[in-house]
Amino acid sequence: MVIVNFRLSEIGRVVISLNDPEKWETLVQRCAARSAIELGTILAVRRGRLLQGDDLVADGDEIEVFPALSGG
Amino acid sequence: MFSILRINTATGAVKKEAFASTEYLLGGRTLSSRLVSREVPATCDPLGRHNKLFFCTGVLAGTTVSSSDRLSIGGKSPLTGGIKESNAGGIVGTRMARQGLRCIALEDAPQDDAGWKIIVIGRDKIEFLDGSFLAGKGVYDKSDLLAERFGKKAGCITIGPTAEKLLLATGIACSDPHGVCSRYAGRGGLGAVMASKKVIAMVILDDGEVEPQFLDQENFKEGSKKVVNLLKANPVSSLFTKYGTAAMVDICQALKVLPTQNFRHGVMEGAEKINAQTMYDTIKARGGEGKTQHACMHPCAIQCSNVYPDKDGKLLCSPIEYETMALMGSNLCLKDLDAIAEMNRIANDAGVDTLDVGAAIGVAMEAGLAEFGDTKAAVRLMEEVRHLTPLGRILASGCKIAAKVLGVRHAPHVLGQAIPAYEPRGTKGMAMTYLSSPMGADHTFGFTLRDEAVPTSKEGKVELSKKFQVIGSRMDAMGMCNFVRYSVQNNMTPLLDLIKAHYGAEISEVEFDDIVKETLRIEHQFNTDAGISHHDYRFAETFYEEVQPETGEKMDITDEESLLARQW
Repeated sequence: MVIVNFRLSEIGRVVISLNDPEKWETLVQRCAARSAIELGTILAVRRGRLLQGDDLVADGDEIEVFPALSGG
Repeated sequence: MFSILRINTATGAVKKEAFASTEYLLGGRTLSSRLVSREVPATCDPLGRHNKLFFCTGVLAGTTVSSSDRLSIGGKSPLTGGIKESNAGGIVGTRMARQGLRCIALEDAPQDDAGWKIIVIGRDKIEFLDGSFLAGKGVYDKSDLLAERFGKKAGCITIGPTAEKLLLATGIACSDPHGVCSRYAGRGGLGAVMASKKVIAMVILDDGEVEPQFLDQENFKEGSKKVVNLLKANPVSSLFTKYGTAAMVDICQALKVLPTQNFRHGVMEGAEKINAQTMYDTIKARGGEGKTQHACMHPCAIQCSNVYPDKDGKLLCSPIEYETMALMGSNLCLKDLDAIAEMNRIANDAGVDTLDVGAAIGVAMEAGLAEFGDTKAAVRLMEEVRHLTPLGRILASGCKIAAKVLGVRHAPHVLGQAIPAYEPRGTKGMAMTYLSSPMGADHTFGFTLRDEAVPTSKEGKVELSKKFQVIGSRMDAMGMCNFVRYSVQNNMTPLLDLIKAHYGAEISEVEFDDIVKETLRIEHQFNTDAGISHHDYRFAETFYEEVQPETGEKMDITDEESLLARQW
């Protein structure tokens, strides 16, 4: 099971079962498609590290997703 | 032709000149930094008569283009000893445009015992009025008195009582659309520079009649709409409107770079008590004058600002930005938005930069003057600043001075300017940017955080920082709000097309970036001429010696590497 927390977003918390590791870019699109919300640019963080599109996500991962905003 | 109004603050002489060069066309930081470089002796005393203060509008000021009225203020910084450009939103840029002014230069300085003056710039005349009735008052009182006398629609610029005392971490406050001087060019101590010229306020009256002349009005209208449409098409921009910069609290906490306990840590337990969602929910629940969405200038389609109300719904502070939430919040281990808002309000009233003074209070807490997490003590320290006590004056001189006086080695600054709200050991890209900015530690200048595959590694960060130094400097270069990037993203064509439709001037993207890079070269040369060496572009030694616990990282960027990131 992978938990994806979409922070500051209507999508909220998504739990997905994974049999095999999957690329983050495809997984996140599946999450967005479920809620029919356009994501825009995002930042995804796993264990304090930014997650890149071709990083593999595996069972047990918990991922925080943020809109790619900036300070000012 | 673009006009510069030169005002000699010692003699009262006023001179208007006009130029048609590209630097005057673009205005903003492109113009202010060139004028500083050309006209201010690099080794001069920043608070002496040889320093100058330049107030510049941008290329699209006074038009209908969203977020195009930033005011860029340049001079030699008393905080860093180098060149400074600090910019603010508000309505002053619009008023200057209506008076046909691209730049106002405050030159020379009267004797120390000269009285305070208000400079009033109107359609028919420029006056020096007695400003003694404003002396010693807080910025909010000054703002009320200026609005009462000159009208709420006048574009007012003023300083706080801390700047009157020539303290180094003081900013310049500019009128917002409600006539309140709450929009700060906060960084670098330019408030003290204005005070050194005995100018306590400058007022641009709302009687200007200069209308923008468009070479191709239809194309300009279309182009202006396009910028807004691009913004609307970006799904992230609506979230930015909703949450503003406060969204960074959660992002930095997740990446373990949220400044905590005087930059000793990158994570604060309980950070959710001061995050964007809590702020949004609090403002909504309290209602009254509170606003989660607010424009600092007109027109603005982004509206990322906010109005934070007290428990009774009355305005407490506007705006509260992420950088303040971190430097006056997590960095002090405070988990109380009301306290942060109160401290922010006092800072605005006293006329100090929330980042530099927040960092100075962190240093004071490390020195044992108060406990981290002690909300009342933090507010009390801000009151010391407001009341100009000896300790308050030390804090209002920024974290470098505070650390020296209070005996703290872990002073979070580069070139004397406090590190913004990204703990540098956990994000080497931001660290590289801090070490590369000619302005001292600065974040808007090269915001790498979103694009660092491995934030804790310095590999590739020279190139990444340089890439974002250019991207981050583009908006400053033409007097636009940095967040117009949410609209055009990395494609400058829509904005350059607007310049063409307005003035007929064709500037390619490559040419524009060359101008941006040339500005950086000029700024770094000024610093070199001022005596700033590559040894000065460093963090305090403790950042290199001590591990940030959450990331296990020390600072490992060498002088040679940061030098590469400053070469253009």
